[in-house]
Amino acid sequence: MIRVAGLTKHYRTPKKAPGLLGSIKSLVRREYETVKAVEDVSFTIAPGERVGFLGPNGAGKTTTLKMLSGLLVPTAGEVEVLGHRPSDRLPGYLSRITLVMGQKQQLLWDLPARETFELNRALFGVARDEARRTVDELTELLELKALLDRPVRNLSLGERMKCELVAALLHRPEVLFLDEPTIGLDVRMQVVVRRFVEEWNRRTGATILLTSHYMADIAALCPRVIVISAGRLRFDGPLQDLVRRHGTDRRVVVAPVREPTPEELALADRFQRTDDGKLVATVPAADVKAAVDQALRALPIQDLAVEEPPLEDVIARLFAEQEPAA
Amino acid sequence: MSATAVLRAVVAELRVAGMLAMRYRASFLAETVMSFGWVAWTVIPLLVVYEYRADVQGWTRDQALLVVGLFITLEGLLGALVEPNLRAVVEQVRDGTFDYTLLKPIDTQLLVSIHRIQPTELPHALSGLVVVGVAASRLDPLPGLGDVAAAALLLVAGLMLLHGLWTIVVATSFWFVRVDNLSVLLRSLLDAGRWPVGYYRGIVRFVLTWIVPVGLITTFPAMALRGQLQPQLLLATCGVSLGFSLLARAVWRFALRHYTSASS
Repeated sequence: MIRVAGLTKHYRTPKKAPGLLGSIKSLVRREYETVKAVEDVSFTIAPGERVGFLGPNGAGKTTTLKMLSGLLVPTAGEVEVLGHRPSDRLPGYLSRITLVMGQKQQLLWDLPARETFELNRALFGVARDEARRTVDELTELLELKALLDRPVRNLSLGERMKCELVAALLHRPEVLFLDEPTIGLDVRMQVVVRRFVEEWNRRTGATILLTSHYMADIAALCPRVIVISAGRLRFDGPLQDLVRRHGTDRRVVVAPVREPTPEELALADRFQRTDDGKLVATVPAADVKAAVDQALRALPIQDLAVEEPPLEDVIARLFAEQEPAA
Repeated sequence: MSATAVLRAVVAELRVAGMLAMRYRASFLAETVMSFGWVAWTVIPLLVVYEYRADVQGWTRDQALLVVGLFITLEGLLGALVEPNLRAVVEQVRDGTFDYTLLKPIDTQLLVSIHRIQPTELPHALSGLVVVGVAASRLDPLPGLGDVAAAALLLVAGLMLLHGLWTIVVATSFWFVRVDNLSVLLRSLLDAGRWPVGYYRGIVRFVLTWIVPVGLITTFPAMALRGQLQPQLLLATCGVSLGFSLLARAVWRFALRHYTSASS
């Protein structure tokens, strides 16, 4: 379905010393530097998979998605999606994929969203009644029936994103590249988009490759994650493996019945107070028993829980471990 | 890409263009009326000149009016088809939404050429044709069917030339991003095509005919209507415009491979 081997993309960008003087210098003699946006990345994705693409800003996630969708020509390496080489941008390929970019919109700003759908219908050569069925299905799933006849500029950010999804899925693509589809949305709207993507994958069996800043998106949607940072692939596998391998710490969380005395706190030296009045010890898995014992002995416990660390922490640690190698 | 796919795309884009143009009723009317104002502005100086002389460099008033009419037609077509699209593509490249254009399963060069049509400029083009018609009907002898066909062919060849020139300008925007100034330059150069190239002398005439083919676009069809264009010149013009279109396409394809896309 998707096969990527040794994928590499280098950009050459002008380098400029700071300030006006630097600008003048760069006008006269321009120096270039090569930015290695993506470096020797390989993976394969099977039909119907939902894969999360994780990495810090500038890691090369978007560049990879752009190469997969045919917008950029790779510097080196091979890409094959649905049996096509994406950069050929053949109509037979483009009509089977879609790319949604959370930060760029294709809706016609001054017209109702319905008109963008009609335009895309014509450009993708979808039959009228088929398009109507798809739009009906999508608008029902996304609960936006009432919004289709309002000019796009009068819609909220979340409503616009829903309409973007309809415009992008009208031709029922087999592969969905979603680049930060939830960016800037409030929590409730993030959940709506997330549920929608999952449901659409279930209904159509489409393959989904998703990048997001929000770990909750990835955790909820993607059984498999690919982590890249500084253009290189760092991890590829099930989300649990990532957490297990890099998140061996546990959090022991105590909710006290009353404010602990200084003496009690001194005895429970593994614990630290958090802003919401709880006491938390972050310890290696092997030390969980010791931490719990200490809490039971020293603290006025109302509730006690042992948690896995948040995904954010795991990822942050993964990047911190590997950054020097980059 | 089949012919029906192309036709479907053109119709859909025209539909959107129409809706966008008519969204503000007052401005739609104002723009249409304005375009008639520009026609008068172009024709009057010529009439004034010919009040005093019957002939300028071998062109009578009605013959020169042919050139002016063709110029107005060209101006209208440029304003309707070429300039709004140029502005739109450059804007898209700058803000990155050009990505969505590239993702459509329609030839990108075609798509950007029809993406932002300005229908309010079409009456302008139409009134240019009316001026040509009036001028032609006063010629003696009247142009034959063959002359009219040759003129029409030349007009199409001229438009192809302009479209090619325009394509190359857009292609450079992948590297330089800001090219709207080039469209102003293009427009100023075209302004020279307002008068028969015969009005100009020596090097200027040569440049306007063969280097920046402005004269060719308006003067040659007028000469055809006068029955004065040699067949070799007709063939040469069609050949040049076809060759240039192919060159423009090659430049365009080369540019697309080097498109870097605005990062998000």
